[in-house]
Amino acid sequence: MGILNIGTSALNANLVALQTIGNNIANVNTVGYSRQSAIQTTVQGQFTGAGYIGKGVSVETIARNYNVFLTRQSTLAAANQSADQTRSDQLAQLSTIFQGGTNGIGASINDMLNAFSDVASAPTDLTARTVALTRIDETARRMRAASQSLDDLQTGVSQSIAQKIGAVNTLAQNIADVNGQIARAQGNGQIPNDLLDKRDQLVLTINKYVQTTSIPAPDGTVGIFIGGSQALVLGTTASTLSADKNDFGDPNQSKLYITQAGANSSTRVAMDENQLGGGEISGLLRFQNNDLVEGRNLLGRLTTTITTSMNDQHALGLDLNGQPGGALFSTVSVSTAGTNILAPKAPATPNTGSVTLGSNTAADLTLAISALSATSRGASDFVASDYQVSVLSATQVTITRLSDGAIVPVDPANPTVPHIFNPKDTATPITFDGLTLTNLSGAAAGDRFYLKPFASAASNIQREFSTPASLAVASTVVGNMGSANNGSLQLSSLSAGLKPSLMAGLVPVTITFKAATATVGASYKRSDDPTGTNIAFTSGDKIQGAGTPNAWTLVLQGAPKEGDTFTVQNIKSTGVDPKLNGGNAMSMMALRDKDSFDGAPMSDGYASLISQIGVRAQSANYTATVSTNIATNAQKDLTGVTGVNLDEEAAKLLQYQQAYQASAKMIQIAQSIFDTMIQTLGR
Amino acid sequence: MTATTFSRLGTSNAYNSTIANLQSRQNSLSNLQESLSSGKKINTPSDDPTGSAQAERALNRLSRIATDQRALEAQRNSISHAESTLGDITSTLQDVRDLVASAGNASFSNAERKTVTDQVTGLRQRILDLANTKDSNGQPLFAALGSALAPFAGPAGVAPDYTFKGLAGTAVGGTYSIAAAMDGDSAFMLQPTRDAAYTVGVNGASGSMVTDTVVKVDSNLINGSAYGIKITGFVGNTVSYAITETPAPTPPATTAPATGSATWSATQGFTIKDMPGLSLKVNGTPTVGDTLTVDPNTSIFGTLDNAVKGIGAATTSNQTNQAVTQALQNIDISMARISAIRGQAGDLLNRADSITSTNDKRTIEQTANKSRAEDVDMIQAVSDFQKQQTGYQAALQSYAQVQKLSLFTYIS
Repeated sequence: MGILNIGTSALNANLVALQTIGNNIANVNTVGYSRQSAIQTTVQGQFTGAGYIGKGVSVETIARNYNVFLTRQSTLAAANQSADQTRSDQLAQLSTIFQGGTNGIGASINDMLNAFSDVASAPTDLTARTVALTRIDETARRMRAASQSLDDLQTGVSQSIAQKIGAVNTLAQNIADVNGQIARAQGNGQIPNDLLDKRDQLVLTINKYVQTTSIPAPDGTVGIFIGGSQALVLGTTASTLSADKNDFGDPNQSKLYITQAGANSSTRVAMDENQLGGGEISGLLRFQNNDLVEGRNLLGRLTTTITTSMNDQHALGLDLNGQPGGALFSTVSVSTAGTNILAPKAPATPNTGSVTLGSNTAADLTLAISALSATSRGASDFVASDYQVSVLSATQVTITRLSDGAIVPVDPANPTVPHIFNPKDTATPITFDGLTLTNLSGAAAGDRFYLKPFASAASNIQREFSTPASLAVASTVVGNMGSANNGSLQLSSLSAGLKPSLMAGLVPVTITFKAATATVGASYKRSDDPTGTNIAFTSGDKIQGAGTPNAWTLVLQGAPKEGDTFTVQNIKSTGVDPKLNGGNAMSMMALRDKDSFDGAPMSDGYASLISQIGVRAQSANYTATVSTNIATNAQKDLTGVTGVNLDEEAAKLLQYQQAYQASAKMIQIAQSIFDTMIQTLGR
Repeated sequence: MTATTFSRLGTSNAYNSTIANLQSRQNSLSNLQESLSSGKKINTPSDDPTGSAQAERALNRLSRIATDQRALEAQRNSISHAESTLGDITSTLQDVRDLVASAGNASFSNAERKTVTDQVTGLRQRILDLANTKDSNGQPLFAALGSALAPFAGPAGVAPDYTFKGLAGTAVGGTYSIAAAMDGDSAFMLQPTRDAAYTVGVNGASGSMVTDTVVKVDSNLINGSAYGIKITGFVGNTVSYAITETPAPTPPATTAPATGSATWSATQGFTIKDMPGLSLKVNGTPTVGDTLTVDPNTSIFGTLDNAVKGIGAATTSNQTNQAVTQALQNIDISMARISAIRGQAGDLLNRADSITSTNDKRTIEQTANKSRAEDVDMIQAVSDFQKQQTGYQAALQSYAQVQKLSLFTYIS
């Protein structure tokens, strides 16, 4: 009978093996399926005087081929890949908003500034003036359109984050459920292979959204942790993720919060974005809180600097009716509470000082573009960044520039020494990067403020007026050489620096030259200098009027003769027709070369913007390519262990088929032995 | 694909990764195709951030150069218009000179001289109109550093007869621009110190005095006043005279003495050297009570009016000669002014030509920069495309081949 039993056990064992192979083949394309194999073992032999006689084979278990390290590596790589890929995809979209070429913002800015050339050539030509106005309108339109696209991108990202958080919450619950099933199945002594596969697959999927760490528990469940230490799944309970505005209630930046299940369900813990690691949510958050913020700041700074500079320059001129220039563009606010200046909002710790925000009184905390002075160039000093104001004590405040983490203003001589402002010292304004912060004297230690000077500049920029005649292209100050001048003096440039209404008393100024002698160079005296000091004259030097900023700037070229004069005067006090003057149009054109965007001339500001965004997109793309390769390889290595290879299964199919046939043959032989015995007995 | 130490391959993963590779090849093939068809290697700034910024800057430069050039054309038009206007004025002044010279003809009757003066008046008006010419944009050609719509006003009837309503001086122009207007003050207004254009009139009973033109001795001393000289004595060879100066010069300018004297000879007459910086040679025989008037001319137009006045008022041939001599001298001075300014205009036009050729060169340079930054190198791209195409074909074929290989094919 032994042989029949052995045959039967072999038949069964090989059938199980064949079934397992069949299951493998069936699941060759099932995602997350781990190859299984039937582990056969010898049945303990029967002891006889002749030793142990084998009793056949049995299936010990159906083993799941997997490797916990490769699984972990693959999961981690997938998390990084999805973070990098998501950020790269978003940045690619961001970089298409800032296109170069003739349809870009840069071309419209240049066209706008160049349009003043035609106005300067023919100040009375209304067509040229209309063209300039249209260009101004077009520039404002393109800036608004870019801002709108950024808003759309922002909306998309926010929705996407919310969706993915929803998916994570569902997956976390699924994992908790599977944990429960596994814990229960654990009791029967065999490993629930398919449940484990399912859980591994869930963990892999959740890692595509947010990077997790799995820590197995003795009961067969795994704990899923995110952000380093926050438990997302613990045994059979899952916590909930949610996204909300950051501490300052900034609508453009999100933060991830986790709400623990059970006893602590009312408290929401903020997750540190930098601790999140990989995953699409982390990629999206990084994009939204860094890249998109930078995109907004770059666009906002471009808008603020250009429109402010043009408005300021335009206000210095006179229009066809002899009136001072009005605003070309709507005024950009850098000081709106809730948009540009933010204070911490609950649940973050609110400020305790007496600084007010948004109460619409003169005592409100105010951010303004610095007035022009020897140390500040106003809008030209802007850095595209947000700022955080930290109050160390009632008399100590630091301001951190978030784009590079520097504490501003940086003293070039001692770059490592942080600059500390004293808010109580109201005589010394808090000035940094072309901005001035006032009314901070009530701040208390621990208070924080978030400054976003450029966040909303481009969203509602408008051309302000539409009458070609109101374009103020005439210069307030003009000059003339003395009729009897004998020298070779020529006027290189003369421009106003103050509004027409502030010119009173600062002009006319007559400059009288002394010729150069063999030993002493040429010099001049000014009629507005009561001391009558001789000032050395070099051809091409700037001669500037009184006032801050200087009321006028004059450049003369050539060599003066004794007694030569140049008189700077108000255009209205000469017989000159202001309608024919295009001096301010020339000054508007000169803005093209004004050193503005981290040192780039105004006409090239957009070129550096697109390269800045382009570099981000490019490097994100490189990173994504690398992490995709890593993820692909990790996946390949993992499937090398867990994946089904059809050729292998085919070979095993043959192998076990033969073993099965042999076992069957064994039973046939047992039967034939039995028959032989019966026949022998029957005789 | 890196080589791995694992001997097993998951069939499904092998297929998937092969498909992913095929897709990535197809993608790069499509990108190359896009580059080839658009001719641009940069399709979004992230393809080449530096290159796209370079292309953007080159585009800005190109539009700036086009703007510079258009402004330069407008300036060149104005200056060349001014230059040809100055040419017209020169030939008109030449006509005036011929007329004035003909007025000196002793055989001319008063009526004929009247015709001449009428013609000169007409030509003076024409010169004034030409000096007030505007360019096609309505900007006066001789606005200097800025002027009224018509820079030259007059005649006012009182001194100064003609005024330049504008700001004297020349603009130097930028690197890529020239001045848009000529200095009308320098062209048409006369300065006593520089030009010393005086009209000397002779009045008196005897009427035998005739003068040369005023000669500039020292321009630093000239104060621009008008002088009246009255002969107060002629004893022996000494002529004495009284000088009145209007307006009285303000210190520190040099003032003429109230009286003076000079030595007379029958052949040489006498020379008055008491007017600061000037000398005047008087021919003929002075008579006590005769007066000389020395009036500065402040403009070319005034010069012509003075000529008309002098010739029209002349009653004797001596007076006619006197008026004609003075007028011819002053017209010559005027023509010298015009031709000096015309020379400046010529210089500016040369400069405009040289700027234009510089702009052309800059355009070529920037176009090349832009092209280098963003245009695709066709030969390179075509070769890359073929390489990719071959690679893609090979990948497809090998995929199809490998797919056929399966142990199951052999199990029957």
